[in-house]
Amino acid sequence: MGWLDWLRPKKKPAASEAELFDEAFQRKLEYLAVASRRLFAGRMRAERRTRIAGSGIEFADHRPYTPGDDLRALDWSVYGRTERLLVKRFEEEEDLTIAIVLDVSASMGFGGRARFDHARRLAAAMAYLSLSNLDRVTMVAVSTKVVRRLPPARGRGQIFKVFEFLRGLEPSGETALSEAGRTLGAELKRRGVAIVVSDLYDPAGFERGINALRYQKFEPMVIHVTDARDADPGARGDVLLVDTETGDGREVTLTPALVARFRDAHSHWRHEVEGFCKARRVAYAQADVEGALEEQVLNLFRRSGLVE
Amino acid sequence: MEWLGLAPSQLAWVGALAGAAVVGLYLLRQRRRRVLVPFAPLWARVLEERPSAKLFERLRRLLSLLLQLVLLGLLVVALGDPRPAGASRRGRTTVLLLDASASMSATDLPGGRAAAAREAARRIVRAMGPDDRMLVAQMDAEVTALTPLTDDSTALETAVTAYRPRDTGLDLSRALRFARDVLRGNAHGEVIVVGDGAYPPVAEDVSTDGSALRFVGVGRRGRNLGLTAFSARRYPLDRSRCEAMVELQSWSDRAESVVLTVSVDGAPIERARLRVEPGERVQRVIERLSGGGERLEARIALEDGSRDDLSVDDVAYATLPERRRARVLSVGEGNRYLEAALLLDEYLEVVDATAAQAPAALSQGRFDVVISDGAAVQVPPGVGWISLRPPPDGSPRPVEPGLFSAPAGGAIVFDRVDRRHPVTRFTSDLEEAHIGRVARYRLAPGDRVLGSGSAGPLLVAGERDGGRFVLFTFDVRESDVALLVSWPVMLINAIDWFSGEDGAFQSSYRTGTAWRMPVPVGEREATVETPSGRRVRVPVMEGRAVFFGTEAGFHRLHSGGSHTLVAGNLGDPDESACAPRATLSVGSTRATAPLPGRPGLRREWWVALLAAAALIVVAEWATWHRRVTV
Repeated sequence: MGWLDWLRPKKKPAASEAELFDEAFQRKLEYLAVASRRLFAGRMRAERRTRIAGSGIEFADHRPYTPGDDLRALDWSVYGRTERLLVKRFEEEEDLTIAIVLDVSASMGFGGRARFDHARRLAAAMAYLSLSNLDRVTMVAVSTKVVRRLPPARGRGQIFKVFEFLRGLEPSGETALSEAGRTLGAELKRRGVAIVVSDLYDPAGFERGINALRYQKFEPMVIHVTDARDADPGARGDVLLVDTETGDGREVTLTPALVARFRDAHSHWRHEVEGFCKARRVAYAQADVEGALEEQVLNLFRRSGLVE
Repeated sequence: MEWLGLAPSQLAWVGALAGAAVVGLYLLRQRRRRVLVPFAPLWARVLEERPSAKLFERLRRLLSLLLQLVLLGLLVVALGDPRPAGASRRGRTTVLLLDASASMSATDLPGGRAAAAREAARRIVRAMGPDDRMLVAQMDAEVTALTPLTDDSTALETAVTAYRPRDTGLDLSRALRFARDVLRGNAHGEVIVVGDGAYPPVAEDVSTDGSALRFVGVGRRGRNLGLTAFSARRYPLDRSRCEAMVELQSWSDRAESVVLTVSVDGAPIERARLRVEPGERVQRVIERLSGGGERLEARIALEDGSRDDLSVDDVAYATLPERRRARVLSVGEGNRYLEAALLLDEYLEVVDATAAQAPAALSQGRFDVVISDGAAVQVPPGVGWISLRPPPDGSPRPVEPGLFSAPAGGAIVFDRVDRRHPVTRFTSDLEEAHIGRVARYRLAPGDRVLGSGSAGPLLVAGERDGGRFVLFTFDVRESDVALLVSWPVMLINAIDWFSGEDGAFQSSYRTGTAWRMPVPVGEREATVETPSGRRVRVPVMEGRAVFFGTEAGFHRLHSGGSHTLVAGNLGDPDESACAPRATLSVGSTRATAPLPGRPGLRREWWVALLAAAALIVVAEWATWHRRVTV
């Protein structure tokens, strides 16, 4: 330690595995609920609502009677006034399956563990919110393939299994998000929301991963973990750029102009991702690793429509 | 254009080698830094958009190489110290000789003459013109260049500051020869002497050979009394006592009363009041001094308590040889002449033995000298040996059988005596000896005949098995040698010679000369520790350590695990006569006052070359750190 230490940029210390999810963080998340644009039918009643002619309590609207409808759902008072046969529809609260897809490729460990820890906290937060709303939560860690999977679970008490699941992960391998879509499609009978937590550095293209979820009838939500340092490698001069995931190298002379061009390209790519998601009505939010995670969960996600 | 630094051919070599190294390094494939990126495909997208970038990078690297070569070229050219053509010929080349002799220690000026000389020298250096070059040297008994020939006034002033007078005389001839050699071939050469001018006359042939001779005198007066000689010796036949000789001289312009004090090992043993007239030289011999000490010191002081202008010659030093008891084994059947002669030296411990007892005696005790009187004795290596007519057999130096007798009515006499040898010193009556019979001795390599007559060698000295020997080819009982004064003197001389107590012992040496100091037999190197604490390794030649003494005082000569004291004195009347002179003449040349240099700008291109190189480095550094050229 020297007297020049105060000049050096302070790095955010990496959280130990035990400190990843502290109690204060959990308490803040309790009152949040996951928003969903679509309603899914569930086996169990929950706080999620679907408009079906059924046994719900809260009236929603009418629809014309068609043969085969439950006669008990006919609104006789309307028939008395208008002589039209209408069936009452009620909103029924049902449970929702939420799959959290966490990218554990090597790029998530780039520049230290800050990015990976941040992503794991985000995933844990989403899982906690879902479990608190009595949603059914499953977790998938994916890199080149699905590395690990947590079976669907329900109830707030399952959060510790989630923590356990997240603590055991290490970033390695290449990104292949489409593998997650294939695995979830094959193993989950019920479709639901798939929340992707990733830096989206997929050599095959981030579109393939998101589309794979959409084609499997999941409603994807994208939490794009970003880091400003990705846009500037810091070094200048003749260097060998090495890809963290593939190890491929490329000799480059890094000039200020080239770095500026790359910064623009990186920004353009982020807008490209955002535009892709918007065009397909995929909820999208960026989460910078330098940002306060609690604030991101409470404000950023609320603004992006991910939480109520 | 002229090159005052490295020659153009040398510069070409340096440039070629350094340039080859730079190009070689350039051609070597650069090992690039590894920089990890999270997603290389994004970089690929950017790099593919600019196809002309590689060409630009190549050009930039080429530019970088060119810059390095230009930088190297500037530095190489600067090493050559280029000047406009004729600049060095226009300027003066000066040899500044600073008088560092003992008289410059005089205190007739505030701070001493040396301080005044320094100040004068600084003024001369500061008055140099832009094209002038100078070499600073100090001159005393030898000449020491303090700088190379340079125009760097800072280096010259530093050398002037470092100049210190020494306790030696001055050899102006040598200094002028040195200056003449330095200035050879320079059209505008000049020699500037800064000193007190109190020098002995210099012959014409060592004048400055066409170069101008300048002189700057320092000093105000020369009231001085000095000890010009001081020596001491032990009495040859009474080693416990010694006598000392002191010589002092006055260069004062009035009669002075001085007190002379002689001390032995710091204790005063003699004190005398002397009145010395102007220019008078006084010699005093102090007899029958106790010889128990080793260090003798003579000191003069003005009786009125004032001090003269030069203190270095107010004290003189001398040493006495160590007197140690020598163990002598005398082997023979009894020789009263020998016994009587040995009794004269009370520092001898004599053991008598017959030839049969000699081996047992030698095995029981360590002897410094073995004297064999007609007996065959195997003398141990390293032990001195005096042989009085050895037998034909069994002796380390046998004689031939048979004796050569003097003709009837006549005698064999010493026709030739070599008195340069320590053994035959002080033997003036040896030629008066008459010898009856003589053994014939065949000389061996290294033997030296000290005395010879018609019958061949009579007295021989030499070395054998690491020890010295003296051989008489006759029996003293068959001669009247034993009745001469030379007989005991030769024996004592021989014993002294064996033990290193040379009769030519010098009690003091004069500074500014080569001291030849005896060292123990067989030693090949020695170290001299000066009064100021400086230790100097000195060579040993012919049994003597050779050292150029420049300090007055007691020195220690270390050799062979022991040490001896050596005294050094200024002892130079020319230096003690320290009255300054305003002018200096060398032969028919009269020195003039120095002239200031021509004013002007110094045309040293190397400064501009280095500045240009520095600018390139700074520009490269700045652009590199601002990421412009990378």
